[in-house]
Amino acid sequence: MALISAAQMQQKRADAIERLLPWVWSGSLLATLGFLVIYPMLMLIVGAFTVVSPTSSVTATEVSRLSLQNFVDTLTSPAVGQAVLNSIIACGAGTFFAVILGVMMSWIVVRTNTPARRIIGEISKVPLFIPPLVAAVAWSILGSPDTGLLNIFFQKMSIEININLYSMAGLITVFAMYYCPYVYMFASSALMNMDPSFEEASEISGAGALRTQFQITFPLIAPAILSSMLLSFVIMLGIYGVPAVLGLPANISLLTVHLYQLTVLSPPQYNAAAAVSIIMILVTLVFVYLQYRILAGRSYVTISGKGFRPKTLELGMWRWFTFALALIYIVAVVILPIFALTVTAFRKFMFIPSLISLFDLTQYSMGHFESLFDNPQTLMSMWNTLKVGLITAVIGLAVALSISYTVQRSKAPGRRLIDMISTSAASIPGLIVGVAYLWAWIGLPDGLYGTLWILGLALVGRHIPDAARILASSLIQVHKDLEEAAWIAGSGMFKTVRTIILPLCKPGVIATVSLLFILSVRELGTSLFLYTADTIVMPVLLLGLYESGTLGTTAAFGLFQIIFIAGVIGLANAIRLIVTRNT
Amino acid sequence: MLNVVDLFKQFSVERNAIDGVSFDIPKGDITVLLGPSGCGKTTTLRCVAGLEHPSAGRIQIDGVTVSAPKEKIQIAARHREVGMVFQSYAIWPHMSVLQNVMYPLKNRGMSREEMDRRAKEALDMVGLWEYAKRSATALSGGQMQRVALARSMSYSPKLLLLDEPLSNLDAKLRTRLRVDLRRIIKDIGVTALYVTHDQSEAVVIGDQIGVMNEGRLLQIASAQEIYNKPTDLFVASFTGATNTLAGRVMSRNDLVGIIDMGQGVQLEAMLPDLAKVGANVTVAIRPENINIAISTGTNTFQARVVSAQYQGSQTAYTLALFGGTIEAIELGSAVSLTTGQVVPISLPRELCWAFLDKT
Repeated sequence: MALISAAQMQQKRADAIERLLPWVWSGSLLATLGFLVIYPMLMLIVGAFTVVSPTSSVTATEVSRLSLQNFVDTLTSPAVGQAVLNSIIACGAGTFFAVILGVMMSWIVVRTNTPARRIIGEISKVPLFIPPLVAAVAWSILGSPDTGLLNIFFQKMSIEININLYSMAGLITVFAMYYCPYVYMFASSALMNMDPSFEEASEISGAGALRTQFQITFPLIAPAILSSMLLSFVIMLGIYGVPAVLGLPANISLLTVHLYQLTVLSPPQYNAAAAVSIIMILVTLVFVYLQYRILAGRSYVTISGKGFRPKTLELGMWRWFTFALALIYIVAVVILPIFALTVTAFRKFMFIPSLISLFDLTQYSMGHFESLFDNPQTLMSMWNTLKVGLITAVIGLAVALSISYTVQRSKAPGRRLIDMISTSAASIPGLIVGVAYLWAWIGLPDGLYGTLWILGLALVGRHIPDAARILASSLIQVHKDLEEAAWIAGSGMFKTVRTIILPLCKPGVIATVSLLFILSVRELGTSLFLYTADTIVMPVLLLGLYESGTLGTTAAFGLFQIIFIAGVIGLANAIRLIVTRNT
Repeated sequence: MLNVVDLFKQFSVERNAIDGVSFDIPKGDITVLLGPSGCGKTTTLRCVAGLEHPSAGRIQIDGVTVSAPKEKIQIAARHREVGMVFQSYAIWPHMSVLQNVMYPLKNRGMSREEMDRRAKEALDMVGLWEYAKRSATALSGGQMQRVALARSMSYSPKLLLLDEPLSNLDAKLRTRLRVDLRRIIKDIGVTALYVTHDQSEAVVIGDQIGVMNEGRLLQIASAQEIYNKPTDLFVASFTGATNTLAGRVMSRNDLVGIIDMGQGVQLEAMLPDLAKVGANVTVAIRPENINIAISTGTNTFQARVVSAQYQGSQTAYTLALFGGTIEAIELGSAVSLTTGQVVPISLPRELCWAFLDKT
């Protein structure tokens, strides 16, 4: 009798643990998200609605004295008003042209018989990996008034054109060129996945090729275009590097630049910065909500499940016209900037007496690279960047995998809440994550501030939504039955994840790790608020070099960063090839 | 009405997707192309539609040559005046039901009144006029299928093409809709080419059925002829003659031959013209054409019941015969034989078809 009850007791205890485990799991996930996302955001809100300083110790009474003074000051300041207006013009027009460019490129690559369209398609994605700051630096070398390489070229060729990239038009141009790949990716996958019978039905109905494109094809991909449009607008709104390089020389201040200046003033205006941040988050939220509505209401399932190849339009002689358009884009976005960086990085002096002298090899040396690497800060920033990248990639993968598995596959309590918190981080512009982490940690002695961890964790908090989304799309492809079969075979949940889910999601896992690493290596906005002299990272140092006016070293470092990122991508692709070949 | 002559289509170098297909559809008839996936039936249909360019041959619609690669004739799909119902329906999701049906009419520059009248007529025909204002995405699969039909018929095309139009529907709806579909097409009187892999669908819908395999049209005839006088082993087995028995021709008397089935057993079967005495043949017979427990007439043998599989409305027996096994079907819910029992069976001579073995 006693024996049986002891066994029953044990069984009961095991049941209790079984029941408790999901709660513990969800609780620890929520605590992680609280640490990474909620606590910094709460501090930002406290900062925006009070006058306490994050750097001094604070009493509860001070915090409880809420006021809207920061918002009143912010919204009535003419500088902020101008910055808001500039941001809307630059990002709005930038998005508009990015959409035109992106849709045009995706249509040319996916739907026409333009020569070399596969290669064009691959190159069209390159701007995604060129850090925006480096692109801006390259274009300032090309298009600064008078001394810009393009202006020198026009002058030597006696062409009466003088371009000035230090202008609103310059900002818009660079925004459009480097953010159109987002539109390209959305639009091209929508075009690729469209069931060709939609267009064939139109053809059978008696419509010509052009009419079919405008009445059927483009309306069908409209939801994809719209959501990519909102996405690129929000990303542009949170970019610091481009407006700092191209806007500041012309005294055009965008919100991000204004925000940064508030924190470097003496004394720093952290409360005003928090208020500006909250306003930017609200604006972004509106756009994210719009995107969600558009995608929810009008996402046409255009995939019929039957294997098909997308229909290409035979352009005849016009295909050379589309080829020329694509070529101009590639030259402007990839070739010219890299050429400009290369010339500047290797040329001893930027004085160019004639076009022939561009090819005079005696004018070139490794001098700028030598002085770049003689600077102890350079090597330190490289180490720091590597470490931050690793922290972001490893911790980001662990957190994102836990979240997406819990949300997609488990019945754990609170998984809706976990999903909500983790995806809401997407509506926080990168720069503002930096401000929030500043508020969260600067006042805590011996805390994270001043370490590399704060840089890494801020990036993890920021990129959880992206990483979780990639992993989720990978998880969805693993049929639930495969997992349940492993359970029936006697594996526990964690063993199933390790032996079934992870091996089947390898491509998604590798993509997530490499994306997190690359995003953190090229990140400027977040790091700008969190670095110290000892924790400087490559993009911040690059900005410093640019601002100190040493153009040759700046170009050398910019070129180095592009090559570094290209190397990381190449490595990730190689790993993916090796890993997927064995499965 | 539709004439297809010596049609060829080559995708890759080694294999022809369509390998010399010829057939005619008389005005107002429905012809079904039946075959397994990859047999070339859909490619043939798409060549007729003008969505695919044939490599050789000739296609004529109502006397007009629309495809003839030799003469460099290739009329665009939009000028062929054909209607087409796609397997995925291809109902444009960004338009309402009415807009979908109006779209081909707009392309023809009709007057407003003409367009309204025709659209209403087409939607009335499929019983969906009250859904005209609905968004196309709010429809069920069966309704989408009918909108697709209305859209393809609204402009009174000369020829209607249907590419597996029922394959995306569930089984019950499919059985009901195929009767409706034939009635609607027949009511309008349009000539139709219909592609499917489902033999029961083909029998109900088609006036004539063409069976295709590996790019070739093996036989084109009425459903009764396909089922009762198949001219090809593939046609026989694809349409359900799953029992095949190997033998050798001993003698022939006009259409009927005596075939040695081994072990000294002889079977009378219908012979193809080319089968000479001594030729190796395969005899095919449908399980439901085997008469169980009948010991009169020719072709009567003793068979042992190896196993019985009860299927509710019928019972499938596996019988040991000629050293192999064949399957026989007994209709009705009662089971009359038990395993191990030896019964007389008879194989009706007209329903035993011998086909020459390929050498």
